Amino acid sequence: MADAVFLAISVLTIGSAIAALEVRSLIYGSISLMGTLGGVAGYFLLLDSPFVAMFQIAVYIGSIAVLILFTVMLVRRQLIFIKIEDKRRRYAGIGLMLIMMVSLGAIIIGSGVKTMQTDAAPVDFRTIGEDFLTYYWPALVLMALILAASVIGALTLARREDMENEQRTD
Amino acid sequence: MSAIAPKFRFSYFLRSILDNVFWIITLLTLVGIPLAMVLFFYFELPVMNNNLTSPYLMLTTIADPSRQVPLLKSIMHSDFFRITAFPGFGFAALLAAATIFIERKMLAKLQLRVGPFYCGKIEGILQLAGDGLKLISKEIIIPAKADKPIFWAAPVLFVATAAAFVALIPVAGGGWVVADVDVGLLAVFAIIGFFPVITVLSAWSANSKFPFIGGIRALHQMVSFEIPLILSVLGIVILTGSLNLSEIVQSQIHYWWIVFLPIGAIVFFIAMLAELERIPFDLPEAESEIVAGWLTEFSGMMYGLVQLGSYVKLYAFSALFVVLFLGGWNGPMIWPPFPEDIIKNGIVMGPITAHIPGLPLLDQQMINDVVWFVIKTMGVIFMILLPRGVFPRIRIDLLLHIGWYKLIGLCFVNIFIALGLLYAGVLGPGGIL
Repeated sequence: MADAVFLAISVLTIGSAIAALEVRSLIYGSISLMGTLGGVAGYFLLLDSPFVAMFQIAVYIGSIAVLILFTVMLVRRQLIFIKIEDKRRRYAGIGLMLIMMVSLGAIIIGSGVKTMQTDAAPVDFRTIGEDFLTYYWPALVLMALILAASVIGALTLARREDMENEQRTD
Repeated sequence: MSAIAPKFRFSYFLRSILDNVFWIITLLTLVGIPLAMVLFFYFELPVMNNNLTSPYLMLTTIADPSRQVPLLKSIMHSDFFRITAFPGFGFAALLAAATIFIERKMLAKLQLRVGPFYCGKIEGILQLAGDGLKLISKEIIIPAKADKPIFWAAPVLFVATAAAFVALIPVAGGGWVVADVDVGLLAVFAIIGFFPVITVLSAWSANSKFPFIGGIRALHQMVSFEIPLILSVLGIVILTGSLNLSEIVQSQIHYWWIVFLPIGAIVFFIAMLAELERIPFDLPEAESEIVAGWLTEFSGMMYGLVQLGSYVKLYAFSALFVVLFLGGWNGPMIWPPFPEDIIKNGIVMGPITAHIPGLPLLDQQMINDVVWFVIKTMGVIFMILLPRGVFPRIRIDLLLHIGWYKLIGLCFVNIFIALGLLYAGVLGPGGIL
């Protein structure tokens, strides 16, 4: 059962990743990108970590894919369907991908992932949260500071004093 | 002699009906019952009264209604029933239909109109059925330059996403929920994230001006109000220490979270209105500016599906509000117990006594839970509908301003209140209350 689901998710993920690169229409490309990201969420579900899977869906499909879609839609229609054909670039890309895959695969297989127990109980997300608050608290505080700084920066950048209350009569 | 059917004779009419009845009975006995028998052998039959049902027993239930009660009970506890009928889609669609009717009548009363009046004689209660029939029978028109696959898929995906949302809502205690997942609240937000995608894709695929403007507005609005929506419930997660919606409801047996986190509840309610595209945040469908917004090019049942989806979504959001802030199904017992007399002695009708085994089909607690849940949900739905009769539409820059500045700020205030209650030892694990 799990093997069949794994195969189906793999086909979905890799197929839509290829489609995202190869499809001419940018809209369909971003829809296939959503398929890829959803497939990755499926992997997380298979790995007994629904917490990460839900965040994958909420963040990557719910925000990042929407952002890409939004950007693509604001591009002029002639630019959406433009053709830039370059054979050498494509082959270079495929070669780069193969090198990356082989080296990453070698690292992962060499890292002792094979000795891991597959029937171990899944880690509860509450345990991860406790670890974050106790052992890894400096990392948590650092992340929180970086995020707070970026949010404040974004709000400052987005603020437009000149546009405020322009249409109000009171 | 009527002009429409000049050769009409009443005797012919009767004969045709009798003919049909004859053929139905003949086909049922010759084909139907043997086919049912064959099918019963292949299906996995439920266990009734601790013995496995045989196909012969199943056939006797057709003849004896009193034996259908245990069968009904076993069907009601199957997954299929949960997904399609009770806590799942059927229940939500029923409440959504009631919502549409209440909305129309209530708005009419608010604006001193009559509203639906003629269909069904009594205050137009059949108006909805009439509208549904109209939508089904209308032609579906696809714009010539539309992107057809996405345009066809969008309404179906919209309803499917709304149904997935409904599946996560617990309706009554004892596991009356379709999917009782451990990370329920996160799953809700993951599903909500699909709505802007579907909206903007359908708006783009129509290849028309007004849907596109509506879709872009919907995207702005939904994406910016998702953040306060998520942040406003963090207080509850901090206090309960759980993301499971059933556990969140069980933590509110003594007091509702709206008592301690009123700011979170208000922010959630406002963000909910924006996510649902209700007035005063109905910019994506602003009918006086951009025809019908992103719904402009939909016609016939496609429009009907989108409307169904949006009302099911409305039910799901108000149910989520009830689950998070208003104590879910908790409430005093108001449902009378099932009469013991009928369980012991059966139903006595003059000389005949009907013994029906397994009669309290649903236990008292469960029905009470559902009653409270529906009362609270309808109350929240009413509060969502009410602004439509009162407020004008908000301007989009003000809307985004509210979303990004005020609501997010209030969310942090709410989180600090929750943290204060937790660290002061008032609430949460090991608290005094």
